[in-house]
Amino acid sequence: FLPQTITGNFANVIHGLNTNHLTDLIIQRSKRMILDTLGVGLLGTSTEVCQKVKQYSKIYSSDISSTIWGHLDFRLPPLYAAFVNGVAVHSMDFDDTWHPATHPSGAVLPAVIALSEAFPQKKKISGLDLLLAFNVGIEVQGRLLHFSSEARNIPKRFHPPTVVGTMGSAAACAKLLALNQMECKNTLAIAASYAGAPLANAATQTKPLHIGNAAKHGLEAACLASQGLQGNNQILDMESGIGAFYTDYNPQTLPTLQSYPWLLDRQDVAIKRFPAHLGTHWVADAASSVRRKLVKNSDNLLLLDKIEKVIVKVPEVKYVNRPSPNSEHEARHSFQFVACSALLDGSMSVHSFTSDNIQRPALQELLCKTQLQHPSDNKPSFESLYCEVTVLLRDGSTISHRCDTFYGHWRKPLTKEDLEKKFQSNASKVLPAEAIEGIIETVYNLEKVEDCSVLSMFLSGQSARVLPEKLHL
Amino acid sequence: PEETVTSSFASFIHAVRPEHLSEIVCHRSKRMILDSIGVGLVGSTTHVFDIALKYCLLYSSVAVSNVYGKPGVKLSPTLAAFTNGVATHSMDFDDTWHPATHPSGAVLPALLAASQMLPPNSKPNGLDFLLAFNVGLEVQGRLMHFSTEAHNIPKRFHPPSVVGTMGSAAATAKLLSLSMAQCTHALGIAASLAGAPMANAATQAKPLHIGNATRLGLEAALLAARGMEANPFILDDISGCSGFSAFYSIYQPKPLSTPNEHHEFLLEKQDIAFKRFPAHLGMHWVVDAALSVRNLFINYAGSFSPSLIRTIVLKIPVSKYINRPFPNSEHQARHSFQFNACTALLDGEVGLSSFTESSIHRQELRELLHKVVVEHPEDNVANFDKMYGEVALLLKSGDVLTGKCDTFYGHWRKPLSRESLLKKFRSNASHVLPEEKVETIITMVDNLENLSDSSQL
Repeated sequence: FLPQTITGNFANVIHGLNTNHLTDLIIQRSKRMILDTLGVGLLGTSTEVCQKVKQYSKIYSSDISSTIWGHLDFRLPPLYAAFVNGVAVHSMDFDDTWHPATHPSGAVLPAVIALSEAFPQKKKISGLDLLLAFNVGIEVQGRLLHFSSEARNIPKRFHPPTVVGTMGSAAACAKLLALNQMECKNTLAIAASYAGAPLANAATQTKPLHIGNAAKHGLEAACLASQGLQGNNQILDMESGIGAFYTDYNPQTLPTLQSYPWLLDRQDVAIKRFPAHLGTHWVADAASSVRRKLVKNSDNLLLLDKIEKVIVKVPEVKYVNRPSPNSEHEARHSFQFVACSALLDGSMSVHSFTSDNIQRPALQELLCKTQLQHPSDNKPSFESLYCEVTVLLRDGSTISHRCDTFYGHWRKPLTKEDLEKKFQSNASKVLPAEAIEGIIETVYNLEKVEDCSVLSMFLSGQSARVLPEKLHL
Repeated sequence: PEETVTSSFASFIHAVRPEHLSEIVCHRSKRMILDSIGVGLVGSTTHVFDIALKYCLLYSSVAVSNVYGKPGVKLSPTLAAFTNGVATHSMDFDDTWHPATHPSGAVLPALLAASQMLPPNSKPNGLDFLLAFNVGLEVQGRLMHFSTEAHNIPKRFHPPSVVGTMGSAAATAKLLSLSMAQCTHALGIAASLAGAPMANAATQAKPLHIGNATRLGLEAALLAARGMEANPFILDDISGCSGFSAFYSIYQPKPLSTPNEHHEFLLEKQDIAFKRFPAHLGMHWVVDAALSVRNLFINYAGSFSPSLIRTIVLKIPVSKYINRPFPNSEHQARHSFQFNACTALLDGEVGLSSFTESSIHRQELRELLHKVVVEHPEDNVANFDKMYGEVALLLKSGDVLTGKCDTFYGHWRKPLSRESLLKKFRSNASHVLPEEKVETIITMVDNLENLSDSSQL
């Protein structure tokens, strides 16, 4: 039948999409996202914010439980596993970013993995089921972002993962739970009442909770809906529904299921090369290029006292404009910090954000000489922004470089080797080599995996001697 | 250090003492606590409560906190708060304040759960409990004064989900005696857990708004207690990057004065409205108006004869989510001017049983609903302080009978008497508790400031 409302239409699509709809490109792209997200999450389990939420969540242990990535020593109920793993994924701002802007995978993957381990009747979930649910979660986020022109630019009011991420997690979990159309509608309605966190907690320790909560609350919404809870079945249609989070809101129905056109097909994600706000990736590339030119002219030495001024041309994004950041969270959200760091070191890495590196005198000195400029043609949108770094030397000469597309952006995606390298580097902080290999194998072959619990097993750090059988390759 | 609005709030939460509670505030807040418990107890018999409880039982391991109306059951603290919060708002029977929100349901369950969490030798006494409760109310009230939007019945975000979460965080922070810095962060973390759209009002999901407000505020305080940090300017105006202001289009934050000898709590100046029947507050005006015109009608015609009525005119303020000509579910019925007016006319009263499936679908009621016409006079503002309800019966004979209500019984201008409040509590609580337990609770709340261990509650 033809659904009359957009909400009903969404529910229809969530309910009706099946594995045959997944195209090759979708499968390829989403598996890259899954691998990257897992790596980022594993690395993130060692952060301070993650320690705190682990401590907190331990008060809720029970017998139904799911894996905490990187831990063999304890498990948590699915809800809190989703929460903790979600926090881990976003803890260093190292996770993927999409256009329109949000962090799509972190809100969805922890929830579906946690849920897959805790199925009511111990049902086996295949890799393909997981892949489908994951993509439903991504798709719903993308579609919702298109309902408002505000979403095209870097946000100012609500942090997008908390708005669309919650909805995406809910949709993905509803899919995995194979809820009927009515239950899918209610899932969306209930999830909306959990959505929405203000942007002001970005650049603080609380920001990672935005993704953790999006995952957790989406899962909760799906569970409540499966128990029969009902909400407003026009939640996506009404201004007082999801529309409440936007000043202009124009919902549209989804395309028909016949050869469904996934957004991920048309628009890939950006994968970060270092853990900081996406906007800083343009800055890092531009600054690194400037440094190369600088040292070429002076026997490979960066002569700091010769630098008079550093000018960084970026769009106006207030929450990433921090002339002298004090914490790692602030440093990850500072154009100035990344410019100076890249100038000093030639490239950015996970280590650029340790407090030792943040406090180094050379860096602090360079920061004092740095200023931002906001050219009017530099729009605050991840699709079109650019960065130009100019170093003014005392002798009057200038060295400049402009970056339009950094390596890792969707226009210039990471190669398979570099994606894997990032994963290896991240995962090796907490997992043994066999488990790391196991995850890579499993994700690369996800659509053929019969029982995706093998993924969770590797995530906890167990290595499988039973690898071949489980994969059924 | 410069005083920001956020730090003034944290200072207040941290520094306020029981001595600052005035008699009126004590008295009023105890009434609220009693009513809230009663409403929660009767709420534990609802379907939405069943769903929430079944869900939470999946996670019952470190279960230390009790659930309304279920003697054998214990849940983890945040889930107990969640469940009890859902119970409290399940029938829309809980208190309402001005500016508009449901203050007690967002705070009390969190405090009850938290007090059971604390180890035996450091249980808060009744006075500490009462103080924490009032901190939770005060913070909600102060936040609502930051925006003129809050003065009217809401359109975008459901207030309990916005300020209620903050109030719960503040109250819990107080009960747990968090440091000033921790209080600041509790508020910051809570803001990221606040805000649910209005669209789920009048659905089964609405009670979750209170359930989540109280639970997530508790969670925010627990995280802050463990060192989680957030934006210390969350309540202030941060240009280009919204904090708590994200939930309002007009936002003018003001600092709270630090309590020295005398702090004037908002509850002192502005009392609460208690509901006499489980429906949206706006319904209470039309019901009282309908009851008065019903009396006139009975005097006129000898008995209530619907066949003599041609049209029923309701004069109400404009508010889409409570204007429903033909509600289909109990949740919709609780949010329908038309339904409540007609029920009052037919039955001479509105109570718990008015919202059962059979009551909602009665033939006589449906017939009456067909005769209703709605008008929105310009002077009838969608604001709980100023609105009125008028019901006019246009009879087939040509005569017109009118009833008007400016202030219903239970409103803060005409508060429920002690007897009425106790009657409501007894009626609610007896649905799930034996008589002696009911009386024990009444006595305990009455003497709350003298109670040595509030977790007994």
